[in-house]
Order: sequence, then structure tokens, then C-alpha cells
Amino acid sequence: MKELLKFFIEVGKLKKMPRRGWVINQIKNPESIAEHIFRSALMGWILGEEKRGMNKEKILKIALVHDLCEVYAGDTTPYDSVLPKNKKALRVLMKTWPRFTDKEKKKKFQEKYRKETKALEKLTSKLPSHLKKEIRNLWLDYKKGLTPEGRFFQQADKMENFLQALEYWKKYKKPPLCPWWLWAREFFDDPLMLEFMELLDEEFHKK
Amino acid sequence: MEEEKKFYLTKEGVEKIKKEYEDLRALKLSKTSGEIPKIWHSEDLNPEYLSFQEDLSFIETRITELENIMKNAELIKLPSKEKQSIVNLGAKVLVQVEGQTDEFVIVGSLEANPSLGRISNESPVGRALLGHRAGEEVMVSSPIKTIYKIRKIKYKNI
Repeated sequence: MKELLKFFIEVGKLKKMPRRGWVINQIKNPESIAEHIFRSALMGWILGEEKRGMNKEKILKIALVHDLCEVYAGDTTPYDSVLPKNKKALRVLMKTWPRFTDKEKKKKFQEKYRKETKALEKLTSKLPSHLKKEIRNLWLDYKKGLTPEGRFFQQADKMENFLQALEYWKKYKKPPLCPWWLWAREFFDDPLMLEFMELLDEEFHKK
Repeated sequence: MEEEKKFYLTKEGVEKIKKEYEDLRALKLSKTSGEIPKIWHSEDLNPEYLSFQEDLSFIETRITELENIMKNAELIKLPSKEKQSIVNLGAKVLVQVEGQTDEFVIVGSLEANPSLGRISNESPVGRALLGHRAGEEVMVSSPIKTIYKIRKIKYKNI
């Protein structure tokens, strides 16, 4: 039980850790990583109800663990390696979606994966073996899309992020939406998520 | 299980799935028989299998998933020479978008990973690019209009 308490205390730090993408965009009182986990879990579960044969308990568990590694690995964004110090240059950069060469994409992907694997290992190291294994396997399912649930949650997770971007844009007129739509139309491919994307278009742009 | 759909896979994707299937079956056998599998000594053993080894249910779930994929897999074939000037599944497309250059391979949903330059043929951008030729401009709209100018199409290494 003592080790469980330590784990809960560490994980609780996510309640106070702001999501980095919003910090870069200078959003006032940005949501925390835990807040993102909360709504992505709801979206994964509820939207998953529309998918035949999905194991909703698995989706919920994947959602709960998918960003736990960020307690130690921190939150990363695609902009991190190209961030200018100058605020004006930063505002210009945020209006574009960063593009990289194949080599850079691979390197960034592997570095992030290594860092997160190490962080999750550290976070779960003292947990009972069955829990440690379950958390690691659920996280791998999310990262690698090993099952339909893992693949579906990859999309639900990013849809929560997209919805939050649109909500901030409506309230603060930032972040700039062009790169978000650019990215979304390259990322989402699940039919249900594409339908949801049309709803977002109607809600935030056509009303 | 998800409703049955076709999984379009590159040659590399098919090989990867077959290898994972063989390796996991060997692991499952070792787990149930207590023998140490040969792949244990192989240098190309995926280190992640180490974390699966004690979790039989995880191995079984993944084996079932891989069987389902193999059953419904369709290999992406290299198009005929005259059709290689058109974007189809498996094409590596060099595009100019918003003043920047990017390159992606159009793959099936299972192998898609935009962070690694692999765009799904079912995504709006993937769908829009299909059927177009080098030099053409493809517009993806709703709500923000973006033009993808196709600079080059390649079909190597699928």
C-alpha cells in the first residue's frame, strides 16, 4: 500500500502541470495534463460506444495511463525543436505547422519514445508486478496502436486536443487555427472522428 | 473485435506483422511449455517482447489481433509504369504546402503515422491527393483552404 500511495502522489503532480502547447501559445490559465486526460477518457469511452465490438473498459484504462509518463518526461510539442526566443518570431511560427525531413521526423519520434519509456519505467518501478505490466502494456497499446482500442484512443486523444484548441481560439483568438486544421486533416482517418471533425467545423466556424 | 475491414499494407508492413506473429507464437509456446524460445537468443528480438513475456493474456490478445489483420490484409502493389505518375497507395509524395516542403507516403490506416511521414489514405489529405499527378494542385478546404502542390511522386521501396 505504501508504494501505491507514493505512486498516487507522483501521478497527482499532473493536476498542476500545464499542457505545454498552450503555454507556448501564451494561453491564460492553461489546462493541466490531468484535465486533458479526464476529457480524453470521456471522449474515448463515449465515442467508443458508437464503434461495434470495442472494449470500453480497455479504452478507459488506456486513456488513464496514456500521459502518465509526462510526470517525469514532461509534455512535448512538435514546435519544441524550432522555438525562437523572440516573441514576435514565435507568433509567426505558431501560424504555421512545422515540417521536418524524414530523418528529423524519425529522430524526434525515437527520442520522445525513449524518454517516455524511461519515465514510465521510473514511475511504475515500485508498483506490484501485475500493475506495472498492465500499465506498460496499455501504454504500449496506445503508443503503437496494437489493438483496435489502442488505435481508436490515439484518435480520441488528439480529438480532445483539437477541441481544446478550438475552445481557446473562440475565447482568446489563439492559438492560430490554420496549423491545427492542416494537422487535423492529415491526422484523423477514423470515420467517426471525421464525422466529429465536421461537427467541430459547424460549431466553431459556421455558427 | 472491430468490424472487419481491409487492411492495406506495404510489403514492409506485411513482413513486420508476420515476424511479430511468429515471434509472439514462439513466446507463447515457451510460456506454456516452459521452454526457452530460440528467438530469445536472436539479436533482432524486439525488446518490447520482454515486457510481454510474463503476460500471457497480452500475448494472446495481440496474436488474435495479428491473425485478424493477416486475414484481412491486402498488399499494396507497385502500380504499372504508366500509373506510377499518379498518386496511389504506397506513393511517396513530395508536396509544397503553405510555402513549406514536406514528403509523405500514402499508406493504409494501420500503418499511418503522420509524425513519421505516413499519411492514411482515409484521412482528408490522403483522400484528396489520391489520383493526382505531379504538377497538380490539390485543394483541401473546410473550413480553411489549403493547397497541396504535388512536386514529385515516387514508388520505390514499398
